[in-house]
Amino acid sequence: MNYQFDFHFLTGSFGALWDGLKVTLELALVSNLIGLVLGFGLCLMTLSRWFFIRWPAQLFIEFFRCTPALLQIVWFFYCVPMLFNVFIDPVAMGFLALGLNLAAFNSEAYRAGVQAVPREHLDASIALGLRSWQRTFYVVLPQALRSALPVLMTNGIGSLQQSALVAIVAVSDLMYVGKSLATEAYRPLETYTLIALIYFALSLPIAQLVQYIERRQEAAATR
Amino acid sequence: MNTPRLVAAQPQSAHTSSTVSGGDFIQLRGVCKSYGEQLVVMDNLTLDMRADDRLVIIGPSGSGKSSLLRVLMGLEGIQGGTISFQGKPYIAGGKGCGKPLDESLRNQIGMVFQHYTLFPHLSVLGNLILAPTKVHGLSKAEATEKARAYLARLGLESKLHAYPSQLSGGQKQRVAIARALMLEPKLMLFDEVTSALDPEMVIEVQNVMMQLAEQKMAMIIVTHDMHFARHIATRVVFCANGKVVEQGPPEQIFTQPKEARTREFLEKVLHLD
Repeated sequence: MNYQFDFHFLTGSFGALWDGLKVTLELALVSNLIGLVLGFGLCLMTLSRWFFIRWPAQLFIEFFRCTPALLQIVWFFYCVPMLFNVFIDPVAMGFLALGLNLAAFNSEAYRAGVQAVPREHLDASIALGLRSWQRTFYVVLPQALRSALPVLMTNGIGSLQQSALVAIVAVSDLMYVGKSLATEAYRPLETYTLIALIYFALSLPIAQLVQYIERRQEAAATR
Repeated sequence: MNTPRLVAAQPQSAHTSSTVSGGDFIQLRGVCKSYGEQLVVMDNLTLDMRADDRLVIIGPSGSGKSSLLRVLMGLEGIQGGTISFQGKPYIAGGKGCGKPLDESLRNQIGMVFQHYTLFPHLSVLGNLILAPTKVHGLSKAEATEKARAYLARLGLESKLHAYPSQLSGGQKQRVAIARALMLEPKLMLFDEVTSALDPEMVIEVQNVMMQLAEQKMAMIIVTHDMHFARHIATRVVFCANGKVVEQGPPEQIFTQPKEARTREFLEKVLHLD
């Protein structure tokens, strides 16, 4: 390979890249916020003893888990305006699509956490006279959140990567800016490498943190 | 001798005096419980207990020993019969759930389980004061003071701020006992609390139970440790197939059992020991 790398052309584009990065971070943060809160609500719904509360939540989760995220984004972008006659700004559309998708996956993470709480702990909290809501809030949820945390964080990283998909509907995120730069300068190799490195640099610390938390939890469990 | 008390001074005499002869601290009458069609764990079970009794329940596995404790704690219902506690109706079987009728009675019973049930996200102190502050309305300061006192009596003062994952199995079970005692129960239930422990830790937990016994705590204990049973019991109850086969003072049950089934069971388990 005798390709001559040239990163110089990018120096003039830092402003554009920075703007793209801000959009990407915004997408990741807001969709995680939606995902964490709504996912929690969905999880509580799926654990309900009433079918008519469980069922809609389950349907929602399966819909978002079982269709491609790219399709969900495109669908939100094209179909929501057609169906409801509302035109929301594309970034907000991105928040919604990514956030709802993440909520479905996070809800499953929360649920797994709740189900990992040993049955005996419930018995013990009944024996201590705690009421059902007290058992939920003081015993079950704190434990469930702890064991769900690594998965929630991994899902969070996932949604950062997935946010790149919104470039397809012309949201000017980091990926979109990169794509434009690459085509303008005919330098896809340098541009996409740089973009990849930025995503990597954003995700790696979180991934490391997940590993650290998991190791610590394992150590606590085996003692 | 000035033995530190584990049992908070309670008006024990109020019911001991009235129940010495009657044994109406706990009365089980015709209690029936089964899981599905096949597994009958209590078959028309009748049992009495006095407030100064320490019942040790022995019997083959599947004979409903743990179920009896779980029912008394209100963790599971019964299908038939009645249970009274301190002379008041406590649990009635039936088509409903067969769970405790009276929460305030249930709150006077404490239970310690076979598996570790300390809440791992709370410190030892957090575990001890959770129920007193949330259920019984104690202030955090009062509850903390009380927790300190109980831990000191159990020699676990230094572990006040430790987390369960930092404790040994024996320490965990002792903290679990302290957690139950925080609510000042009139009756303590012990469900095979030493069976998950390494042998060298069994004794420290049994010592705490002996301390409770010396302070006249009413207890029902399910154990496979016959030596300990003999040591702590005022009465040993042998159950099989959901019925009380035989009961009596430990000396009698362990040396001269009347029933052939009791003898058979004891020969088996004592051989294994």
